[in-house]
Amino acid sequence: MRKILLSILFGLILIGFPILVSSDYYQHLVILAMMWVIIGSSWNILAGYTGQVSFGHAMFFGIGAYTAGILVVHLEISAWWGMLLGGITSMMIGLFVGWVCFRLRGPYFALATLAGGEIFRLIATNWESLTQGMVGILIIQTFPSKLPYYYIVLALAFVCILTIHLVMKSKWGYYFLSIREDQDAAESLGINTTLYKNLSLLISAFFTGMAGAFYMNYMAFIDPHVVFSLHYISIMAILVGIVGGVATIMGPAVGAFIMVGLQETFRSAFFGLAPQWTSQAHALVFGLLVIFVILFLPNGIVGDWPKIKRNVFRVKATG
Amino acid sequence: MKRFVVVFFCVFCVLGGFLLAGASPAGAVKVGIVLPLTGAEAKFGEIEKRSFEMAVAEINAKGGIKKGEKLELIIEDDTGRPDVGRSVVEKLITKDKVVMLGGGYSSSVTYAVAGVAQQNKIPFLVNTGSADKITSSGWDYIFRLNPPVSEYSGAIESLLTEVIKPKTVAIIYENTLFGTSGAKSFGAICEKLGYDVVMKEGYEAGGIDFKPILIKVKQLNPDVVYMISYIMDASLLMKQAKELQLTPKMFIGGAAGFTLPEFAKNAGVASEKVISATLWHQVLKYPGAMRYYKKYVAKYKTDTEYHGAEAYAAAYVIADTLKRAKSFNSEDIKNALAATDMMTVFGPVKFISYGKMKNQNKLPTYVVQWINGKLELVWPAELATKKLVYPVDWMKTWKYKK
Repeated sequence: MRKILLSILFGLILIGFPILVSSDYYQHLVILAMMWVIIGSSWNILAGYTGQVSFGHAMFFGIGAYTAGILVVHLEISAWWGMLLGGITSMMIGLFVGWVCFRLRGPYFALATLAGGEIFRLIATNWESLTQGMVGILIIQTFPSKLPYYYIVLALAFVCILTIHLVMKSKWGYYFLSIREDQDAAESLGINTTLYKNLSLLISAFFTGMAGAFYMNYMAFIDPHVVFSLHYISIMAILVGIVGGVATIMGPAVGAFIMVGLQETFRSAFFGLAPQWTSQAHALVFGLLVIFVILFLPNGIVGDWPKIKRNVFRVKATG
Repeated sequence: MKRFVVVFFCVFCVLGGFLLAGASPAGAVKVGIVLPLTGAEAKFGEIEKRSFEMAVAEINAKGGIKKGEKLELIIEDDTGRPDVGRSVVEKLITKDKVVMLGGGYSSSVTYAVAGVAQQNKIPFLVNTGSADKITSSGWDYIFRLNPPVSEYSGAIESLLTEVIKPKTVAIIYENTLFGTSGAKSFGAICEKLGYDVVMKEGYEAGGIDFKPILIKVKQLNPDVVYMISYIMDASLLMKQAKELQLTPKMFIGGAAGFTLPEFAKNAGVASEKVISATLWHQVLKYPGAMRYYKKYVAKYKTDTEYHGAEAYAAAYVIADTLKRAKSFNSEDIKNALAATDMMTVFGPVKFISYGKMKNQNKLPTYVVQWINGKLELVWPAELATKKLVYPVDWMKTWKYKK
């Protein structure tokens, strides 16, 4: 009962946030965090639940963003159509990657996604007639206000988390988990592991592609280094998952808010309160945070919440 | 249940952090400046930031804008990424309520920022971002102090036709908006002059091993190697060219990384005799140019070059604009900016529209050469501080034993 009440309250706060806080700047940060909720959760269903770690979610993100951008530039179709089409295009690319790699075991998938992200960045850089190369794609935002974007991304994040929640409660979810735990055992029970790994990848690619298309609509500017970035997209997706909690529904959501918050805090040197040099420390702090989480909270903040309660707040674990 | 508590906790932490933001002193006119203060382009950001700060201190010492209102620059870090630049500008516009914008270092960041400025109708005076597209998109709130990158090589062009007279040219450029647009326009110039462009190849930004590309250049043996690079890559290109004993008639840099003091520091002897396009040199007969140079060197114990002068001049243009503006609403500031006609350390500033360009300042360009570790103005010949060293015996310059 309390759980339901809390989730309703939490939902209401998010819905009411832009009314309570009218500053565009804070709304912008929450929109970004919400976008990372989607990417982190998508990464999580594949890596956390199915055990197929991706180092190249920038590939799906960038494809989504470029699909939306190219629609505007070449076909003069609103980039909002890209939200759907971007997800589908990402899925198709994901299907190809999965079809090739999922028949293999071990680190091949991780390596293939890592390479895939880089390959698409190079394609986007050099195929100038299609992508405008390093000039990037600049469109004019549809809405002058942040509110529509806020609610669109909120709805998208909600749908994404709900979908993953429902999938994980269904038969598919158990198949995903069984593949992660022991692929041989899963196969001996008659589970078509290649098929289910691909299904997990498709869900992941679809939502990441949608997040990419949303990014195009919202930021209105992309170039290959921004959307296919290994550092800022692929690695960030992993960090969001690890810090929040791998294989938990709410973990990536928590991770997203923490990572976006931290990033902005450091970029702006503690909102202008600390000396400028602190802004240089942001990579260092990210690194330390990851080391700390891996050493002491291997299941992330959400996964190891009882442990945090026990050790930090001195509360006895009750259940 | 527990999970929701966690989420709650985190959201509140983040929100709490937001609300901590500080306020700035009253009675100041706020102008937002976007510069790369961290990341690969931080050196350019630093030289510009210092110059901006120097200029603002001088302006405020002389009474600020009007009625004793001081000029306050809010300098924000774009980390060299267009998406961060975009968020930074939104913050400056909506949270700090700046009346206009300045700065803009790398072309891609400047382009993205200019899009936001135009959409929000906030006047933006660009002082370094040089891709043509920034002022050729028909945006009326965007003004540019520096020439577009396609005009950077103006002085190089006359140097090529009058002195070097090459037959073949190789162009190496960084795969960024600045690099690709510079390479495209220099390639067009070569074609017009009848030089054979034997190679035109981009490399990945942030690369450290240029030997594959340089070996290719060596095999083609062009008369001129033209490079468009930011900072670390500029030094590395020259160092590795030295190691490979690549000896064209001349190495030419397309401004940016090739004029910074760090270039000579990092590349050492490999930077000697390299020539580069530039937009400014302290010996130019612009009022205050030498004074600015000396003051900067005295204060920061390091050289300054055209990027610093651009920033310094931009601060004065901003102050002048705000003094003349009827009010601080964006329409009035835009009109005042459009009517600018003043002399700065960087040269005369007047925004005109020509060809596809809109609100673009037109300035001549120059050629500098690194001679004995100093950046000397060598072209046009009548303004030169030292005579152009040409032809260059590279093997001797690089201290190889015969």
